[in-house]
Amino acid sequence: MTNSNHLALLVKISIIALITCAISLPSFLEVASPFWLLPFFSYWVIYSNGKNIYTAAFILGILLDIIEGGTLGQNASALVLSSAFILNVKKSFFVSNLTTQQVYIFLGSIIYLIIFLLVHQLTQDLNFKWLLLLSPFTSAILWPLIRYLLAKLKQ
Amino acid sequence: MRLVKLLLAVLLSIILILLDTRFSYLDNFKRFTLTLLSPIYIIVDFPSQVIDWVNDKGADNENLIGENDYLKGQLIELKARLQTYNNLALENQKISALLDSSYEIPNHDVLLARVKSISQSRLSNKIVIDKGSNDGLALSQLVVASSGVVGQVMQVTPLFATVRLISDPTQFMPVKNSRNGIRGITKGIASNEKGMIVEYVPLDSDVKVGDLYLTSGIGNSYPSGYLLGRVTSIDNSLDPSFLSITLQPSQNMDQLEMVLIIKGKND
Repeated sequence: MTNSNHLALLVKISIIALITCAISLPSFLEVASPFWLLPFFSYWVIYSNGKNIYTAAFILGILLDIIEGGTLGQNASALVLSSAFILNVKKSFFVSNLTTQQVYIFLGSIIYLIIFLLVHQLTQDLNFKWLLLLSPFTSAILWPLIRYLLAKLKQ
Repeated sequence: MRLVKLLLAVLLSIILILLDTRFSYLDNFKRFTLTLLSPIYIIVDFPSQVIDWVNDKGADNENLIGENDYLKGQLIELKARLQTYNNLALENQKISALLDSSYEIPNHDVLLARVKSISQSRLSNKIVIDKGSNDGLALSQLVVASSGVVGQVMQVTPLFATVRLISDPTQFMPVKNSRNGIRGITKGIASNEKGMIVEYVPLDSDVKVGDLYLTSGIGNSYPSGYLLGRVTSIDNSLDPSFLSITLQPSQNMDQLEMVLIIKGKND
């Protein structure tokens, strides 16, 4: 894959991820739904040899913050730190089975959730909902489907 | 090198968080970027537009006639109520003239908007509406629905606007008690997304369960007289100086389809 191909894949994945993030769901599903941006971006980190991963994570996070009308930097910091974890386990992703990959995505989502809640607590009153704790699970459960769809997109 | 890049990205994020929460330097950048990203809202909303269109086309004649009759009935009822209101307004004007008061019943210019099926952050209470700066919307305008105040316009692009609901913990609104005019400030409750509290009401104030709270119009940020909610509980043990008043919003936020934006005085 050339550099322009990596970039094209990132742009496609980013557009799909941002659209998915903006889709409205019933309130309980919305709270428990995955942090969509993380599994989508993780796919790009793992299956593409793109450079400037943290810059891409930062920009994508900022775009999501703006679309969601949230605090600028909230999703950006969460995505940067969780993609640092994904980058660390990148090599083992290739030799892992699907269940182990789901565990990695689950751990990445937990990092994302902690940073997300921490920033929320520091900037405004924490509006905590227990269903939020389900989002790392749903991210992990949906990982095989996201991986399959993005593999089709990559071809 | 990778660690330096990571630290740099985290540091930039922290700077942005500080700048965004403490200052308003980034507002223009956010507005400009959101305008560029508006096509995402259009794509997300497209399926519901198609469903609405199909429903409109598929509605049979009998249903439409039935709905038309019901709406005519509603119109007659509202006109009858308006007559009473007009009489009261006239009486109020006469009394104001006698008392030499400068108070006037405001006549506001309003704009109807539809709530879009677009998601916002999962920890905040916001909705997106299908009117934007092209329709004359501006920041801070009050948004109401049939039963009361919904919230305040917090972000505007040419085609869409985001409204922060009154039940959001970061939404503050000056209010007054409709029975005796005692003033306070409402904000949402983080632990209960369907409740609000009224702050800064002194301990010895005359507030009762069931009292209604309206927008006070203090500071001219909001028009006055729009219903916010009803008092559900009062506690004087939480704070040594102020009452802790809980309100139930008069408007059910789960069933919002259409809202009215109060644009300003229509003189």
